[in-house]
Amino acid sequence: MNKKLKFRFSRKALAYPYMAFLILFVVVPLVMILINAFITDGNKIGFDNFVEFFSDAGGGLTVLGNSLIIGFVTTLLCLVIGYPVAYFLAKYHASNNVLVLMFILPMWVNFLIRTLSTKTIFLAMDLELGMGTVLFGMVYNYLPYMILPLHTTLVSIDKRLIEASEDLGASKGTVLVKTIFPLSLPGVVSGITMTFIPAISTFAISEILSVSKIYLFGDAINMHFSKATNSFGVGSVMSLVMLVLVIVSNLFTSLNEEEVRSVL
Amino acid sequence: MKKFVCLALCLVMFSALSLGLVACVQNPETTDSLVVYNWADYIYDYEEDFKAYYKNITGKNIEISYVTFDTNETMITKITKGDSTVDVMCPSEYAIQKLLETDWLVPLNYFDEQQYAKDISNKQNYVHNSKYIDQNIVNKIDEAFGEIAVGDKTVSMLDYMVPYMYGTLGILYNKVQFQQLGIYDVETLNKANWGILFNDDGNGNLLSQGLDGSILMKDSIRDSYAATLFYLKQSGKLQGTKYQDMPIGQLINAVDDTLIDLCKDVLTAQKSQLFGYEVDFGKDDLLKGNAMVDLAWSGDALYAYEESWNDDLNNGEGDYELSYYVPNGAGNIWFDGWVIPKTYNPEHTEAIKLFINFLNDPVSAAANMCEIGYTSAVDPEVVRGNADAMAVLAECYLVHGYAKDDNGDLLAEEHCDYETLAEFEEYFFDNYNEIDNSNWRYPFKFSPDSSPYKRDITTLGVMRDFGQNNKKVVTMWGYVRSAGVSALPLLLWTLAVIAVVAIVIAIVLLCKHLKGRYVVLSK
Repeated sequence: MNKKLKFRFSRKALAYPYMAFLILFVVVPLVMILINAFITDGNKIGFDNFVEFFSDAGGGLTVLGNSLIIGFVTTLLCLVIGYPVAYFLAKYHASNNVLVLMFILPMWVNFLIRTLSTKTIFLAMDLELGMGTVLFGMVYNYLPYMILPLHTTLVSIDKRLIEASEDLGASKGTVLVKTIFPLSLPGVVSGITMTFIPAISTFAISEILSVSKIYLFGDAINMHFSKATNSFGVGSVMSLVMLVLVIVSNLFTSLNEEEVRSVL
Repeated sequence: MKKFVCLALCLVMFSALSLGLVACVQNPETTDSLVVYNWADYIYDYEEDFKAYYKNITGKNIEISYVTFDTNETMITKITKGDSTVDVMCPSEYAIQKLLETDWLVPLNYFDEQQYAKDISNKQNYVHNSKYIDQNIVNKIDEAFGEIAVGDKTVSMLDYMVPYMYGTLGILYNKVQFQQLGIYDVETLNKANWGILFNDDGNGNLLSQGLDGSILMKDSIRDSYAATLFYLKQSGKLQGTKYQDMPIGQLINAVDDTLIDLCKDVLTAQKSQLFGYEVDFGKDDLLKGNAMVDLAWSGDALYAYEESWNDDLNNGEGDYELSYYVPNGAGNIWFDGWVIPKTYNPEHTEAIKLFINFLNDPVSAAANMCEIGYTSAVDPEVVRGNADAMAVLAECYLVHGYAKDDNGDLLAEEHCDYETLAEFEEYFFDNYNEIDNSNWRYPFKFSPDSSPYKRDITTLGVMRDFGQNNKKVVTMWGYVRSAGVSALPLLLWTLAVIAVVAIVIAIVLLCKHLKGRYVVLSK
């Protein structure tokens, strides 16, 4: 019997379909973006697209700056609002999943419907659609992404550590600041990445809640790919910049607990 | 007995088999096929009608594969990259130009009377309905695309395409709110022209305080550019330049740095007047009263217009709340047409030409106009003169005597929108609005000579592909969209809040610290 021809089914083989999927739908598109970034006017190869973007002639850098700021503020607000919520959920209702569910429930409604309804409410309140409403929409949409990882980490903190610090005479505030918060740092970090990255790349929220007046990085990429003709090049450069931001923040998440603490 | 049953069964099976075989053998001979590539929602439920039409002329059956696209860009990519093979497709004018320039189209010679006789009896020739097509649109196409350089020769687009539908770019506005603002009269509207989108009364002054923040601009680069250019011309901002006396057809295609810069300034200044930019939600915002003015295409405008009927208006008689018009001095007209890509299947030639013929039949044109809302390239007088076509339109628009309910019975008069066919005809073909001075379904039907703001055909231009300048226009649009938006105040406010919170915490901690020390000392 020819052993070479025999297909040996190992557990590894189960991963092949997904590997194929990854290559086809993640690796290949990324390579295409990379190639497109160097192509101008359909045939020329060069750095024209990079020059175009980094010279800020089309306002690309301004838009990136604005997006980073809005992403930062959104993340901060989500953290400030989300941490206490996650904390109390974990502390008093660790076993009560219904309450957790209540906070995830808005996520079950399609986010476009949610955002469109928010717009209607703002208009009914006679509020001017602009930066404020966009920020509200961002926090509203991304808050669950902050609460969930925080809740998961807070619930899994070993109660004995908290009791120990209390036994050693720490006040409630000290326990929170010196025991619970440091132990929940991994949750904070993953919450931040899960909020920050979508917040800087979104385009639907700003499009709807400011009637496209607030123009963010996601809107700009969208414009180059779907509204302009022959502008894939600059759009690809922007996507690459976005990719770099994603990689940086992922490096940040992959640091282990100890390293996170030293960074903060 | 058993034997008999067995025999009978064998016989049945055999006959079934032979029938099947016959069917298999016959099928390829009698069934032709055709692959159509069209915009989504851009045709009526044509399949049965076309099959009957095809059978009638050729005696053969036809199978149609119908594929759709969303943008001209996807269509071009798919065709030129060889992802799909289609026989006939329907891009917009500038996309046809691009395909022609890259030598992707097969000549159609549809308008060449010599080559194809109009003779149904001779099946070798093609019945062609080119005689039905509106000469005005044919002339416009010839004006803009009469000479296109393909390699080293020059060709006319009309030899490669057959126009299908056309429409204009214009201004959709809320009539009722305009009345309240006191700007709904012939003089104001026609003087302001495209200035309405910029809240300019035509003399550089503010048109109305109330329009501030109620103007929608289209998030479409080509259309916004065109509208801005028209405004520049009509408000005299091109005075003293070489563009001043350029005919609209030329001006709209004279894309260069000077014009792009002028547009950039005007569009940036316009931002403070805007409610926003829209692609899909514009109609809704106008119907809900969130905005009053929008840059719109005639087909979208028609949809919004017909949705906007309000029974309370006009002293209880009811009226449409919205209206649409193409300002009198300058405008853009666009069209889509049927072309054959080089990768088509030559065996399908007959089917392709019959398909195009079928669509240019007045009855199909009427059915399409009813379904899609844009204006068919078929001459309105031909549609009007064709009783069958008029019956299709009359049923669609609920004219008494034509409209039927679900059971196929005639609708009662009170449920119909129009009492007589004549009344409907007047709405559909001669819908001339005296205030804004336009017939928007048929822009070629000009305003009457008596009108002081009479327009003529030269004021409508067809926009070609921007070519090399496309990139500059995209950059301009990116700049305009990002201008005037800054998140810096937001950042500063956030930092200020953080600083305040930090100071408060520091003070509290300090107090506690000092208090603790004091307690220790006092002991």
